[in-house]
Amino acid sequence: MKIIEHSYGADLDWVKPFANKLGGKVKGNFIIVPEDTFKGTRYFLDCGDDIVAYYVDVMNNKDVNLVQKNTKKDFIGIYYNITEGDVKYSSDSFVLNVGRWKYNLLVIDSALDTNYKIKAGSRSHAFCIFMKKTRMAYFAKKNNINFKNLNKITDSSKNTIIRFDRMSDESYHLIEELQRFKPGGPIYDLNIRATVHLLLSNFFKKMSATRIIIQTVNKLDLERIIETQMFLINNIEESFPSIETMALKANMSESKFKNLFKKITGKTPNTFFMENKLMEAKRLLEENQFSVSQISDRLSFTNNSYFASKFKAHFGLSPKTFVNQL
Amino acid sequence: MKKFTHFYSLTPEWQYQLAKEMGGELIDNKIIVLPENLGEGHSFFTQITPGISALFMDFVLTTPIKMNRLKSDNELYIFHFDLSDHPSIIKIDNIDYKIGSSINLGLAVISNAIESSFKPAINERTIALRLLVDKKLLNEFIKNHPTEEYAKRKIKIDKNVPYYYDNIDSNSLLLIQSLKSKSVFDASFDPYLKGISLKLLGNFLNRYTDSVAVKNEITEVETEAINKTKTYLLDHLYNPFPSVPFLSKMAGMSPSKYKMLFKKEFNSTPNNFFVQEKMLLATKLLQSGDYNTLTEIIYELNYSKLSYFCTKYYDLFHRKPSEDFVKKNRVIKKPEVYIKI
Repeated sequence: MKIIEHSYGADLDWVKPFANKLGGKVKGNFIIVPEDTFKGTRYFLDCGDDIVAYYVDVMNNKDVNLVQKNTKKDFIGIYYNITEGDVKYSSDSFVLNVGRWKYNLLVIDSALDTNYKIKAGSRSHAFCIFMKKTRMAYFAKKNNINFKNLNKITDSSKNTIIRFDRMSDESYHLIEELQRFKPGGPIYDLNIRATVHLLLSNFFKKMSATRIIIQTVNKLDLERIIETQMFLINNIEESFPSIETMALKANMSESKFKNLFKKITGKTPNTFFMENKLMEAKRLLEENQFSVSQISDRLSFTNNSYFASKFKAHFGLSPKTFVNQL
Repeated sequence: MKKFTHFYSLTPEWQYQLAKEMGGELIDNKIIVLPENLGEGHSFFTQITPGISALFMDFVLTTPIKMNRLKSDNELYIFHFDLSDHPSIIKIDNIDYKIGSSINLGLAVISNAIESSFKPAINERTIALRLLVDKKLLNEFIKNHPTEEYAKRKIKIDKNVPYYYDNIDSNSLLLIQSLKSKSVFDASFDPYLKGISLKLLGNFLNRYTDSVAVKNEITEVETEAINKTKTYLLDHLYNPFPSVPFLSKMAGMSPSKYKMLFKKEFNSTPNNFFVQEKMLLATKLLQSGDYNTLTEIIYELNYSKLSYFCTKYYDLFHRKPSEDFVKKNRVIKKPEVYIKI
């Protein structure tokens, strides 16, 4: 397995050495790597305010171990990882399966060295935000977020911050939406910046909300709930499978299932399902390949008017108007 | 009617004067809370990047007001996205323009070099987002696209056009809608608004600069269906033309739609396409040397009149079929070169 040692940072000093180590070069805001190792996009952007965004969407053609050893220890990396399939992320103190259905939101201090093991044939899909600690503290203060021991966190000599979590649905859709734009050019940059702002807004909101953090939930239960979530997403075109069946699947009582689901995703199973269904509907409408009634049928809505009313309730305008004004 | 005058700048300073004049409260250099005698609501101003700022307004007025915007020195474009339930009025050069998503015209682009006034509707919720964008910055965005394409575009922002307006595209509409449900006093509102604003600007530029945005009118399913009928035609060249109703049924659409789409795809009507392909097959048959007479061939191709076939053939190749005809040779001069298996 090829081992590549590199660093990230809240400025662009890391880009060139990283590109060299990957055997590629920097071209504009892209890191171009020969296609026999990775195929796809690596895009970085300095967003100002000591924030750097880094977007990866590549097919990995070789087994690679990316070792992150940062030369600068003054920043925090927020990694949104929506890779389908298994990726192992580890350091001396933890080993973690990362990906869309595992932990997909990592907040890791730059002072920590990490290993990112990639298997050949897998696809990496992630959005990273590197932010200076001082900036983080400033944001946190401004947003009235009480990180426990904020000073400890922002002072790299005292402590390191690690956090594993699952990103909210909105964040997922934000990153997924980026995929639809062709990388490169000023408009793309605008979109990247926009995504950074929206993700941060979402992130800080989540941090400030006093809801039970996932780490407090029993690990097995968490896995089961995520499994049902995955099940729902994979069957997004079907009609809602009753709570009963899902609870049975998760091996829990119905009330426990409902409670835990809400705790972890912040939504009831039905709302979660419906919202994702509507996002799918929106995506299909945007593609402009199907009529409204075809989409309604495809997504197993009982009838068009029910679909239209749900769509309108969620997005604020009817599917027809949505298509007309695209 | 109460009148206020104000001006815009990319930095928050302009708010002091307006807040003072209205008697509203200015919080944190960002939020102006509307005084009770005017109505209820607030505005939110934030600087996003150098050259781009956003002002979000969300209020219900009880007293009619008119906001006169003075022109100011800085070169700005104002993007006004309106999502109010009821149309508001923007006045430029003494002409009233109605604006609001309810009348399908929710987006206005105004140059800061021209004075304008804004009269929101009374007793209705007014929701508007204004982006202030540096002219230089915007021109740079636009410049990065090929000039020829730029000329073709719907919008050309130049100094002679004081005002441009249009409906808001769906995606932008959704983005502004999502602002409705957020509270400006929430800590995460600021980055959220920044993100939304940048996306809106991205959408706007995309819409007017990206030629790909032109809708692909034929869907994949339809193309597939049309291609299916085409293959059918090619497979049945020895038969008579199967009729448009038959083909359209096969493609699952009405005859008129079928004909239209067929023409779009292949630049020819189904029948003409069929005849053309038939004639191409005819040349092959003519030159094959497998037939004794032309009549044999035309029967093979399901024509009953030789003269009709000849006319069609001539139309396409400007030659008579007889010129291309190779008669069957009964005496085999050469031994067969291929090996029979």
